[in-house]
Amino acid sequence: MNDPAGTALAPAGTRPPDPWDAPASTTPYGPRTANLADILERVLDKGIVIAGDIKIDLLDIELLTIRLRLFIASVDTARKAGIDWWETDPALSSRAARDALAEENRQLRERLEALESGSSPAAAPGAAGEPAGS
Amino acid sequence: MTAAPCTTGVPTATDVPTATDASTATCVFAVCRGGDPAALEGMPGHEEGARVRLLPLGSLTAVVQDVPADRFSEEAVRERLSDGAELERCARTHHAVVSAAARCAPTVPLPLATLYLGDERARAALGKREQHLHAALDRIEGRAEWAVKAYTVPARPDAPAPAGKPEGPAAPASSSPDGPGSGRAYLERVRSRKRACDLRQEAALRAAERVDTALRGLAVAARRLRLHGPGPDRDRRTQMLNAAYLVDGDRDRELAAAVGRLRQEAEADGVRIEVSGPWVPYSFVDGGGTGDLGC
Repeated sequence: MNDPAGTALAPAGTRPPDPWDAPASTTPYGPRTANLADILERVLDKGIVIAGDIKIDLLDIELLTIRLRLFIASVDTARKAGIDWWETDPALSSRAARDALAEENRQLRERLEALESGSSPAAAPGAAGEPAGS
Repeated sequence: MTAAPCTTGVPTATDVPTATDASTATCVFAVCRGGDPAALEGMPGHEEGARVRLLPLGSLTAVVQDVPADRFSEEAVRERLSDGAELERCARTHHAVVSAAARCAPTVPLPLATLYLGDERARAALGKREQHLHAALDRIEGRAEWAVKAYTVPARPDAPAPAGKPEGPAAPASSSPDGPGSGRAYLERVRSRKRACDLRQEAALRAAERVDTALRGLAVAARRLRLHGPGPDRDRRTQMLNAAYLVDGDRDRELAAAVGRLRQEAEADGVRIEVSGPWVPYSFVDGGGTGDLGC
């Protein structure tokens, strides 16, 4: 009977509707019913970061967002994942960051064109780097 | 007698077998203090690697696994984590080892795929952070993380604006400009429906804030995590709260009771609460409980 993991797994057949129904004292950590999104949310960008020798920038895996969403969509336990927190935050997604960069570039180019065509005489050349809060 | 008994009398670094072999990398799952982590030795880790083992680090113990370096190179890992099924397998494996460690001893989880070129490198890197690790362990020892999410339950499509019928037989067109069939009446209906929706949303937001406030009262620390966007299957729920609470081990019943009560109250505002836990305190090991990640 010294098998805490076994105890924790036991209710799997009669899966409780809520983790609260499981006797907490026998399942000290790591809810077995944990859905993937809950785990990823914790495993990927939490925990103490002590950079390893092999640099895996977990937040820079662009394909991940695409494939993961497809994958999640096909898994009913992850139904509620709403995993696009990866994608919409520039801090988390290289793509979002790149989009922001592309947008800035576009604005700078427009600004440059305007300056070169002399239609914006007020703007000093030094100010060209500021996308003027648009 | 709570000091780490199994970290003493270890072989010196030079005795460590095979671990500095260039074909092998050291994957670190977690760092423990004290307890009895010996039970972890031999548990399976990532599929391609050896069994999980312990790496003594002075007053701490790292839970590690030898993995083939070529399968865990930057390129290989990137590739692998870009595959949904593989990512899930890796994440669940990591979580399983971390959770098992936490059952044996106070444990600080490291992020997925923390890889070193050998034990010595791991020892050096982790050794440098020893104080930091101890501080994190002090913070989480005897405590667990509980995840709480609140969602608005989608309004029933037949829950109309308070004034008037939803749509359909909206009374025969009247010639009066203010009659029920007029454009003005239509706009009014649209507006009041929108108002009702806004009110529901505000009530739900307040309910979610009440949940957060109440649970913070029971917790040692709390964090707001990033809100999830809408689910991929057009799930119409909206997440209002995604939070993690660090709770003393002997207060979990109290937390359960509070959640039960809050759940009933929130129901009235169309808000559903989901709880999962206890988790190893992943969200509370990197420097305190005040860092909100925004909403």
